[in-house]
Amino acid sequence: MLCRLRYNPPMKKSRSSSKPNRKSKSKNRRGGRRSRFWKLFLRVSAVCLVLLACWMVYLDAVVTSRFEGRRFEVPSRVYARPLELYDGAGVSSGALERELALSGYRKGDGVKPGSYRRNGGHFIISTRGFRFPDGDEPRRRLSLNIYGDRVQDFSVTAGDEAAIVRLEPARIGGIYPAHKEDRILVQLKEVPALLPATLMAVEDRKFYDHFGIAPLSIGRAMLANMRAGQIVQGGSTLTQQLVKNFFLTRDQTLLRKGNEALMSILLELHYEKDDILETYLNEVYLGQAGTRSINGFGLASQFYFGESLKDLDVHQIALLVGMVKGPSYYNPRRHPERATKRRNLVISEMEDAGLVDPSKAARARGLPLGVSAKPSYSENRYPAYIDLVRRHLARDYKEEDLRSEGLRIFTTLNPAIQYAAEYAVTDTLPRLARGETAKALEATLVVTAKDTGEVLALVGGKDPQFAGFNRALDANRPIGSLIKPFTYLTALEQPDRYTLMTPVLDKSFTLEFDDGRRWQPKNYDGEERGEVPLHRALSRSYNLPAVRVGLDVGVPAVRETLRAFGVVSPISEYPSMLLGSVAMSPVTVAQIYQGLATSGFNTPLRTIREVTDAGGEALSRYSLEVDQVADPAAVHLLQYAMQETMQEGTGRSAYYTVPKELTLAGKTGTTDEGRDSWFAGFSGDLLAVAWVGRDDNGPTALTGATGALPVWSRFMAQVPQHGFSPVVPDGVSYHWVNPEKQALTDEYCDNARLLPFISGSEPTQRVSCSGTLERKIRGWFEGLFQ
Amino acid sequence: MSRQGIFNASMLAALLTLAGCASGPGGSIYVPAGGSSRAPEPPQTVDDESKARVWRKSEQTEAPEPEQPPERNNKPSYREAGDELSPAALGLVREADTLLQRGDVQGAIVRLERAQRIAPRSAEVYFKLSEAYVAGSQLGPAEQFTLKGLSLAGSDTRLQRAGWLLLADIRRARGNVAGANQAEERASAL
Repeated sequence: MLCRLRYNPPMKKSRSSSKPNRKSKSKNRRGGRRSRFWKLFLRVSAVCLVLLACWMVYLDAVVTSRFEGRRFEVPSRVYARPLELYDGAGVSSGALERELALSGYRKGDGVKPGSYRRNGGHFIISTRGFRFPDGDEPRRRLSLNIYGDRVQDFSVTAGDEAAIVRLEPARIGGIYPAHKEDRILVQLKEVPALLPATLMAVEDRKFYDHFGIAPLSIGRAMLANMRAGQIVQGGSTLTQQLVKNFFLTRDQTLLRKGNEALMSILLELHYEKDDILETYLNEVYLGQAGTRSINGFGLASQFYFGESLKDLDVHQIALLVGMVKGPSYYNPRRHPERATKRRNLVISEMEDAGLVDPSKAARARGLPLGVSAKPSYSENRYPAYIDLVRRHLARDYKEEDLRSEGLRIFTTLNPAIQYAAEYAVTDTLPRLARGETAKALEATLVVTAKDTGEVLALVGGKDPQFAGFNRALDANRPIGSLIKPFTYLTALEQPDRYTLMTPVLDKSFTLEFDDGRRWQPKNYDGEERGEVPLHRALSRSYNLPAVRVGLDVGVPAVRETLRAFGVVSPISEYPSMLLGSVAMSPVTVAQIYQGLATSGFNTPLRTIREVTDAGGEALSRYSLEVDQVADPAAVHLLQYAMQETMQEGTGRSAYYTVPKELTLAGKTGTTDEGRDSWFAGFSGDLLAVAWVGRDDNGPTALTGATGALPVWSRFMAQVPQHGFSPVVPDGVSYHWVNPEKQALTDEYCDNARLLPFISGSEPTQRVSCSGTLERKIRGWFEGLFQ
Repeated sequence: MSRQGIFNASMLAALLTLAGCASGPGGSIYVPAGGSSRAPEPPQTVDDESKARVWRKSEQTEAPEPEQPPERNNKPSYREAGDELSPAALGLVREADTLLQRGDVQGAIVRLERAQRIAPRSAEVYFKLSEAYVAGSQLGPAEQFTLKGLSLAGSDTRLQRAGWLLLADIRRARGNVAGANQAEERASAL
């Protein structure tokens, strides 16, 4: 490259010395010039050679360091939780079909691995098998019926017998290197032999014979191209193509060509042919998915066919090899005709090379392209969720390792629940307001599995695809009345002082601080009701009794309860915290409500079950943890009042959307001028926290019940699940009582209410109602038919 | 109490609880009704700022609260005992047993966590997790899982007794003699 140096003789100096003896001197001059020229030539050549040698040494270092070091930066793969199929599993037909599509299954005969057949509620599914961190899930053919959103008649019709089977988890994202190359590494020995053979037949027939460059093959390619009337072969060897992709820019300069040739030779000098071929199979560019590039045949096979490389047929291998020439030009999804033509040309090449027999080739040419409708996963489909996953990973892993080490991250995301959560937000939010407020409204929804603490779904805003501000994690907003259950729980943990029936005063008062400031809390409706039983004060979310009870048990005690349930940020010491001036993110609210939903057991929220290295070796597990932070008996009482909230109190409009059979428990929260509308609640299986408000913290006309609750109940209504029905803990008993008279009573009496009490705190006196025989009989009959 | 003792107690618990309880999980499942269009529209609000600042009657929608709520229909939902293990969960628990016998504690915990996801309201599965953590010499988590199991034992005295005895063993092994005695008293009072 540097040998273009020209020699210009120093003319001036030679002319001055030519005068005295013209002839002999001219002869001498010519001879002298010649010798000087050769001397210079030799010197320049020597310099050139030294420079070339230096350059070769440099190139050699580049080639070996890149090739021997970490050859590929493989992104980490993030998987959803695998769907578990067994008799009794709760899944609807629609959700199962969506799940299958997400995992790259195709509707078909249900016999080929990765395909399924559906007939009404009957499914035949042929799994591909998957290597889970705890062991292999082999290939199986499953037969099952879905009836009433439950799996029935589950059986394995081919493969190892099992009562419970996991489908392959859907890939929901990746953590990519800066250059955004994505690949699934393959080893030459596990690649079907037809693939490299076809590749060589089309791209480089003498691959195993040349030394990196093959001048003859350029001629051969030209001939072949002329014969075909179009370009069917390239002149570059596979080694040259690899070098071009691996080390060089795409500039078409002579200098680059020279470098390419030199590096190809160096590569061949240092490495085995198989090593080079394997690298080529993993490096070659075969398509684009958004900003992510699809490199290597391993990923291309998944990307275009949703199948593993080892399962590809002749026509599929031909297509992939054909695409090497121009992945964008021959994109089978965008240009199926071009792609088919190219594929068939490759099949003919395979036939010519004797790789397939003519009948098989003819059959392959007749087949459709067989590409999956769209990639089996799309990039960044769940940005808010992946954001949370990355933050959890950041505790234990370096960013550069996540981007390049090909880790496999098994998350807890449940695609069906995420789908329902996104739908609930996007469908409900536009109905909550009109005009400018509607545009400004934002919402988040966090859904966890009640008893495991696994985060199943996360919606970070009204556009769930938008990877921006993640409100579910970063919007710290005052939680309003969501704090009240913790105040009342603190009180109910003192059964000698507080029961659900204890009258609390709904009457205004003024607190005067030492510095002269005054605080006068008010009820939401500005009214005062005198004495109300505690359960009613909570279910109706009255402010004055909540503050009075909070001050009675003490703000420090309430803060202590909040700490125990998982609040780690500073909590205000002012009494205004009793009305929820303390700010939290929706995810933190989900964390602290987990303890309320699970009878006082704190269950740390998790998004990751396990992380393995590229080879499947476990690196870290995030196990289920439980930690008892409150008396289950007191929490059971609180859960009663939270059920009452849904049946009679501020949450009752949920049952406009959700059928009454689905028993729920929850709590509304509203801050001043509707700046924050909250709802946190749970069923038997799920806990969900919804928030609606504006990013600019502006006022809205919403309350917890009119903003967040519709989103929450819209979500709950879509998901098959069990109702909330807590087990009565040891030391709690239910009694029919008359709360106004603070006494036991009979079931058939007016105002009779069945309340749970911590043993010993139940009332001792009894009132009999003025019930007539007729009322008694009515009571019996109601009891009979309920 | 020795490790063997704990193991024996937990095996006893397992025997007590897992024999022949292969029925479906308790409670009926809620099935969403039809398509999304069937649900009534959520309450609408207006974005009139002057309205936004008025006192509302309650945090609820503007619909009046019934004066006399039909309380007989509003009975709280509760139950006396947790779920029994489904056959699928039971299968995983048995796998976990086999792994535990082979000394593969981590493998057993993974199986049991799968079982717990399927049967999260079954006391047995938590007692089994406790057993696995005992085998792994992690007595802190073992105690917590026993407590969790006990919170789901409800009125099932057989389960309760097994749970309290397991708790007594674990507490004694952790050096909490008073706690162990208290748990034993609870067991014998049943």
